[in-house]
Amino acid sequence: MSEYFRKYIKKEHYANHYSNLKFKTSFRNCILEAFKRRLWKETEGDDWDIMWAEKEWIHEVLDHTHLQANQKINHFRNHYELTRKDLMIKNFKRYKKNLEREGKSEEANNYNFFPLTFHLPSEYPIFFEEFKRQSTNSDTKTAWIMKPIGKSQGKGIFIFNKIQQISQWKNTLRYSQDNPQAEAYIVQKYIADPLLIGGKKFDMRIYLLCTSYQPLTLYLYRTGFARFTHHRYDSEDISNTYVHLTNVAIQKTSDNYDEKLGGKWNLQTLKLYLMTKYGQEKVAETFYNIQMLMIRSLQAVQKIIINDKHCFELYGFDILLDAQLKPWLLEVNASPSMTSNTPVDFELKCGLLDDVFTIIDLEKVLTGNEEQIGGFDLICKGTPVKLPINSTFTTYLGAFNNRQQQLKKIAKSTAIRLAQTYSEGQMKAIEIGSKGQKEKEEKDKQMRSSSKGPQAMQNGSSLNNKSNNLTKQNTIMKRNTANLPALGTLQNKSNLKRQPLQNAGQQQQIQQSQSNSSKKNNPNEDSMLSANQKLQKLTQESKINQFQPYKQQSQYNEVMGMGAGSRNLQKNEE
Amino acid sequence: MQQLDNQEILMKLKSSKQFWDIKKKLKQGLGDQQKIGVNDIQKFAQSCEIEDQLTKLISHILRKSKKRESLKEDQIEFLNTSKIKWTELLFKNLDIVHQKTKNQEEDDTNTDSKLYIYDEKNLLAFLQTFKQQQQSIALYQNVQFQSNKLLNVNIPLKSSQSILDKYQYLLLQEELQDDKINKIRKQIENEHIDIELEKIAQTFVPNGERCLLYLKYFEFDHQETVLQQNFAKLQKECSNQLFYDELLEIDGHEISEDTFYFVFQEQILTCLKCFIRDRTIKENIRIQLQNGVKKEHAEFQLPVTGFFPFKNISKYVAPLCYLSTKIHIIYALFKEFFCRYFCFLHAISSENNSILSLCMQIEEIVSTRSPKLFHHLKVIGCDTLKLIIHQLVYCFIGDMDPPHILTIYDSIIGHDSLEILVILCVGFLNKYKPKLLLAKNQENVQQIFSELREDRFQELVQFAYKQ
Repeated sequence: MSEYFRKYIKKEHYANHYSNLKFKTSFRNCILEAFKRRLWKETEGDDWDIMWAEKEWIHEVLDHTHLQANQKINHFRNHYELTRKDLMIKNFKRYKKNLEREGKSEEANNYNFFPLTFHLPSEYPIFFEEFKRQSTNSDTKTAWIMKPIGKSQGKGIFIFNKIQQISQWKNTLRYSQDNPQAEAYIVQKYIADPLLIGGKKFDMRIYLLCTSYQPLTLYLYRTGFARFTHHRYDSEDISNTYVHLTNVAIQKTSDNYDEKLGGKWNLQTLKLYLMTKYGQEKVAETFYNIQMLMIRSLQAVQKIIINDKHCFELYGFDILLDAQLKPWLLEVNASPSMTSNTPVDFELKCGLLDDVFTIIDLEKVLTGNEEQIGGFDLICKGTPVKLPINSTFTTYLGAFNNRQQQLKKIAKSTAIRLAQTYSEGQMKAIEIGSKGQKEKEEKDKQMRSSSKGPQAMQNGSSLNNKSNNLTKQNTIMKRNTANLPALGTLQNKSNLKRQPLQNAGQQQQIQQSQSNSSKKNNPNEDSMLSANQKLQKLTQESKINQFQPYKQQSQYNEVMGMGAGSRNLQKNEE
Repeated sequence: MQQLDNQEILMKLKSSKQFWDIKKKLKQGLGDQQKIGVNDIQKFAQSCEIEDQLTKLISHILRKSKKRESLKEDQIEFLNTSKIKWTELLFKNLDIVHQKTKNQEEDDTNTDSKLYIYDEKNLLAFLQTFKQQQQSIALYQNVQFQSNKLLNVNIPLKSSQSILDKYQYLLLQEELQDDKINKIRKQIENEHIDIELEKIAQTFVPNGERCLLYLKYFEFDHQETVLQQNFAKLQKECSNQLFYDELLEIDGHEISEDTFYFVFQEQILTCLKCFIRDRTIKENIRIQLQNGVKKEHAEFQLPVTGFFPFKNISKYVAPLCYLSTKIHIIYALFKEFFCRYFCFLHAISSENNSILSLCMQIEEIVSTRSPKLFHHLKVIGCDTLKLIIHQLVYCFIGDMDPPHILTIYDSIIGHDSLEILVILCVGFLNKYKPKLLLAKNQENVQQIFSELREDRFQELVQFAYKQ
């Protein structure tokens, strides 16, 4: 939790105090540091509230795991629809076609931010035709770039302008015994006139946080950076990767790589530089186009990605500007590097992650309507957010990152709001308490009038006491579920919610006594009880003492009687 | 000396906005009369001060058309002899540097020592020796000479209060609306007279128009091809290696460690290599930095510029790389900035802009407006000037982000003076005053400035006027 929130918000005003929150991650870079800075506790077990997992974990484990209502994870199940190079292009092409079919040709024309791309080897014949056409049409040889689908950090990428170079590649792979099948690649028309600064090529890394696909909720981080190659750009020298690829992983191996510097520019610096050459309007337009490019990318996959309230995702967009300042989308990364190579970079990434965690709001202190949280600006909520007409900005991307001041401001206003709701809640509780007292007195009167004997009366009263305690607890739980202020029993609520099965024994006692005491009052509870009983049986039969995830979502849904949730999931999958 | 004929003066006049304003005023004033004679115009012009304005404008044009000659001799003899001493010292340093490079060639492992002929600390240390010398002179002349300042030389100084008053308007600078920015943009495009351009530079220059304003101010706006040709010639000369090239390369490597400028390392080096080969500098530079003492070896002579390249010379070029992608323009701007202004930061002189007078003005303001800080620093044995000398000599380049540096450049052009640096240095000291007052020794002070910090133009101006 950002230090300002800790400073201004009182402990009892938290819906979920930060000291109760647990995180799990296998990363040991800025991610761990950012978690630790929020004073959350690290856990190795399954009792985490937030997990920063590797993509592989999502693919292997998430489908077979049931997440608790409050658990958050950093990837959507099928994020690869956007983040795998070939699928991304496929989805963009499909979305564009759909738009054209629907007659929205204007919007369809906006999907022109990705270079001409083919999937290899499946689309080789079409590519070959296109290659021939391009070569005959232009005097200079068109360069193409080959990228292996499943690899990152610039591995396996090469540029070519003669078809022989690729046929050789094809043959070696086809006939090698180690590679029975040719590795899948995409081939893209190389953007040969990139914008150069100081004679060097660069691309931009921009961070976008998606907290939901339904409605599409996107936050854009103000600070990004431009990554430079360490060598002068030369469109003729296509074999030198140091000239063409900006990936830090590639540039690090270059002889003149300076570790202290990292070869990066802040977006603000880039913006200033561009303004001097192209003027304010043109640069503002470019940065607005970049923002729209990102929104459009996510809109294209909105219906394909399985929305899940447990998931959020921080995307790293790689964007290239050409000499005309037109932005091109190179790639979307689901796990943008959170390893830093300079102290400034370290602070940038820790700040970025801290703001992500603030938006995820595990502490449940925000309203969800904030337009700016730290360095993140809300740019889309269902539809793209429009800035006020008199605003001098078209986008806050690359603007001054006032995250410290903004967090201070937001922490103060949140503290005031929470204090108000807390005091209101207390007032209500007192009212409810006094009403309950009156009812109790009336009931007592009735009991006395219809007494059947001392023993029965004793039993009855003891039962009554129990039920009274229980109803009290119930009211608190209900209030909490409605997100109303806590009354000191919050801890119970969060524990109950997070680990329902650990407390199964306890729950059973509660439910049994509930059924004994107030069966008539609650006719609906039968169904609830049966579900819970089933649940207990299941745990007892399989002799599970501690929480273990259900192997299948459907099994859990059946046991818990949660048809609606599963329906929602299925709908998305379709 | 170059003289303009009437036609040229008229052409210059016509390129000024003020001239057209005057003409408009005249037309409005005389609109009703049917016959207008010369006398009528004269009478009217006298009555509403138009004549005054016009004479001022013409005299300004004439003044500016005169080529300023490089200051060779100072009016104070003491400084002239000091300059010779300084040059001798630098020749000695050059010998040491030369020896070091030779040793390094032999022993590759020893690359730690950074090579340069002099840096800002050497310069300050040299200036501070003046006080003792002056005191002895003063005693000899029976003049009472007492001062607690570290630097005190009998030179004519502009009053520090007048500097403070001059820049006070910066406190009231507000963010401009889009329509006003557009208006300024148009003004820059249409205006050619430097006095008008100065006015714009004093207040606000939009990022996109800065380069044009500078080019117009230096009268380069229609000479791009000339600039390009000159630069190409110099670049050709670069193929002949000079000993100084090596020093520039080392210096360029240092600038490459700056996040904002590493991209331009190559351009900066090219510019500097051309710079030390540019013969026109000696005639254009406003003040002669060193008094050449010829040595036997050609290699050990002063470069054709008439002065030695010093440590961090790259810093002066770096911010200009944000103004244009064309290297000949960057070079031309750098050359003008250096010859007109930055040369004074390395000159031992009694001139208003010289490092000596700037340092003394800073000391004066700090000692009178923040005596507690001044005294405290003296008690803990820390030199006030040492704290700001780097910022002062290098115009805060490397200490502030490029937009702020360019604002400093605007201000230098706007007032045709380096006095803005005095204000900023005072603001800089005031900003860290609370921390400095807590410091108990020099190490504490060093620690304060080694921490990650962010200084901004407007912020330092605010601090400068804080009591």
